[in-house]
Amino acid sequence: MIKQGLRIRTLVAALAAAGLSTAAIGQAKDVTIGVIFDYSGPFAAGGSQAAGIGTKIAIEMINERGGVEGRKIKATYADAQSKTEVAINEMTRLLDQDKVDLIMGVYSSAQCVPMAQKADSSKKFMWANVCVASAVFKDKKLQYVFRPQVHSDQFGEASCTFLNENAKTKLKKDPKDLKVAIIYEDGPYGTGVAAGNDEQCKKYGMQVVMKEGYSATAPDLSSLVTKLRRARADVILHTGYNPDITLFWRQSREQGLKWAALIGHGAGYGQFDKLKEAFGKDAEHIFNVDPVAAQLLDAKSLAPGLGALTQEMVKRYKAETKAEQVPPHTSMGFNQTWIFLTDVLPRAIKKYGGTDPEALRKSALETDIPIGGTIQGYGVKFFPPGHAMSGQNERSSPVVMQYIGDETKIAWPTKLRTIDPVLPWPKSNSYSNQ
Amino acid sequence: MDIFDVFLLEAVLNGLLLGGILALLALGLNLVFGVIDVVWICYAEMIMIGMYAVYYLHNVYHWPLWLAFASAIAIVALGGAALHHLVIRPVLAAEPINQLLVTGGVLFFLQAAATLVFGVEFRNLGIRLPQLQFGEMYLSMARLIAFGVALAAMIAMSVFLKRSYLGTAIRAISQDRQIMPLMGVNPNRIFLVTSALGGALAGVAACLLVLQYDIHPAIGLSFGPITFLICVLGGLGNMMGGFIAAFIFAQFISVGGFFLHVEWGYVLAFLFFIAVMFWKPQGILGGK
Repeated sequence: MIKQGLRIRTLVAALAAAGLSTAAIGQAKDVTIGVIFDYSGPFAAGGSQAAGIGTKIAIEMINERGGVEGRKIKATYADAQSKTEVAINEMTRLLDQDKVDLIMGVYSSAQCVPMAQKADSSKKFMWANVCVASAVFKDKKLQYVFRPQVHSDQFGEASCTFLNENAKTKLKKDPKDLKVAIIYEDGPYGTGVAAGNDEQCKKYGMQVVMKEGYSATAPDLSSLVTKLRRARADVILHTGYNPDITLFWRQSREQGLKWAALIGHGAGYGQFDKLKEAFGKDAEHIFNVDPVAAQLLDAKSLAPGLGALTQEMVKRYKAETKAEQVPPHTSMGFNQTWIFLTDVLPRAIKKYGGTDPEALRKSALETDIPIGGTIQGYGVKFFPPGHAMSGQNERSSPVVMQYIGDETKIAWPTKLRTIDPVLPWPKSNSYSNQ
Repeated sequence: MDIFDVFLLEAVLNGLLLGGILALLALGLNLVFGVIDVVWICYAEMIMIGMYAVYYLHNVYHWPLWLAFASAIAIVALGGAALHHLVIRPVLAAEPINQLLVTGGVLFFLQAAATLVFGVEFRNLGIRLPQLQFGEMYLSMARLIAFGVALAAMIAMSVFLKRSYLGTAIRAISQDRQIMPLMGVNPNRIFLVTSALGGALAGVAACLLVLQYDIHPAIGLSFGPITFLICVLGGLGNMMGGFIAAFIFAQFISVGGFFLHVEWGYVLAFLFFIAVMFWKPQGILGGK
């Protein structure tokens, strides 16, 4: 307990120190960034804190290298407390009182959707690091909000395409005979991923035998589990945060729900160490769709220097948290921040003369990083104004990972995979229907 | 019986078991309100403290589970007494809204303190209870235990209040706070004992919830509002009313969620709550 308390105090102190240290060297031309993540509440342990630390590491490393075009990065870290209204209030405070140049971060899509709307309508620049809901951009005609991160439609596509490619060879079923159940937390994140799942799986001719949302704070999911058993799905496609995922798994076991495979979609499913702690060996074989954790990629497939950058990120994250596993959210926080600080910001200062929203917007629209040019493998080019997804990265892509032993392996896309996927789950797993 | 009926029966029984948990949660809150006339808005956070106590004593300090449970109940009981002594007693004569705000402040304090002290990580005991299978039907062993404990706690509380001297004094104070001191009953002592009892019941709930849920500083969000609604539905301060309301609420959630989407189960439960409030604002068994 004392050790844990120390860890939290150390984190808070480190965040404060980061702010103070950058403030200390701050001058008139510092670039001020309001970083918003959930450092408390249920989202914190679901990946938000990991993403916040990844973001902080990137900012620290850039400042250690002298900043951007001679300007230091002065970050102010705000805790959204896993509450949408707090996130919006913090953004308003940072923009209107602290007068930061831009807003960065945001884990929860439920926060991201209204924040993006508010920032854009106020003509303030926002750079989204982690939230994935396609609804943040779709048909919103945003001009000042950009997101290099993947979006939820891609999550939905990835899991169904993975199933389609493996149905015959692994599950011994034609895709049209495959029964798929889609369950999701009913916020923008879960709803967005589930919509992508539904559309893509049906496109492949799969039978979507159930599609149902629930509240992430629901104290009981037993009726959902009962219905899933009645539906007799082969594969469960699940999108959730952390407390609801573990509740679903616990009640599934108690109520005898079994499956050939379960594919999670980020958030709570990206926290393998937590799942392993709760479910032991049964947590193995879970599939998780997410932007890849950078340390899993072969550095040779990336631009020179990115492998070393990933190693440094992993080293600093482990030193700060004492964790053994580095979740994908750390890479998301670090990578998007790094892209902004090394590509968008220098061009805005040099070519467009500053860090005002207009300069940052023009610079972001010129971003053109090829595939392999970031630590997470994907390239970056934003859909232009007029496009239905304007502001979203058109080159982003998730992967399907699988937890084997104590390691995370890449199961899809085939060209990146580091394991032949274990599908269906073996009999040794309590949840296997074999 | 065809396969559909088995699943429906399972939903009904799961609703019954969920009702046991909710009834236990409502029991302590109702006891405190019935006697002291103050709503502990922070009740679910007291349960959260009890869950952390079990986790640390059992998983970190390796105490036997039964000892960790007993200690957690004692810790939360002490917490309940401390809550009354330090926070409630100074505002006993204040307006109800002030009392509500004070315990609301304790809620945020406990959440923030738990975040700082225990961290934001989700924790669990890692205990797996066996499955209960009856043909095609499955029930949760943890919930069956919770159901049994809720029934036992309700009966024990009833016997205690009716058969013991202290229980009689508690009932007497709950009926007339002004007159009883004239008959030699010390209300402050009774309030303190009642708060400790309410805390102990929160501790018992913690021991049962920790077998089924992850522990984190915001766990109260899942149970706090629903517990309060159940107490109001049954009649604030009426333990039997809360007990019945818990089972009604749970059936709406479970069977409603079975026939419709899970979310609709909760919507129906809340609609029922609103309808009852129009029909009988004092709650199902509440006095006038």
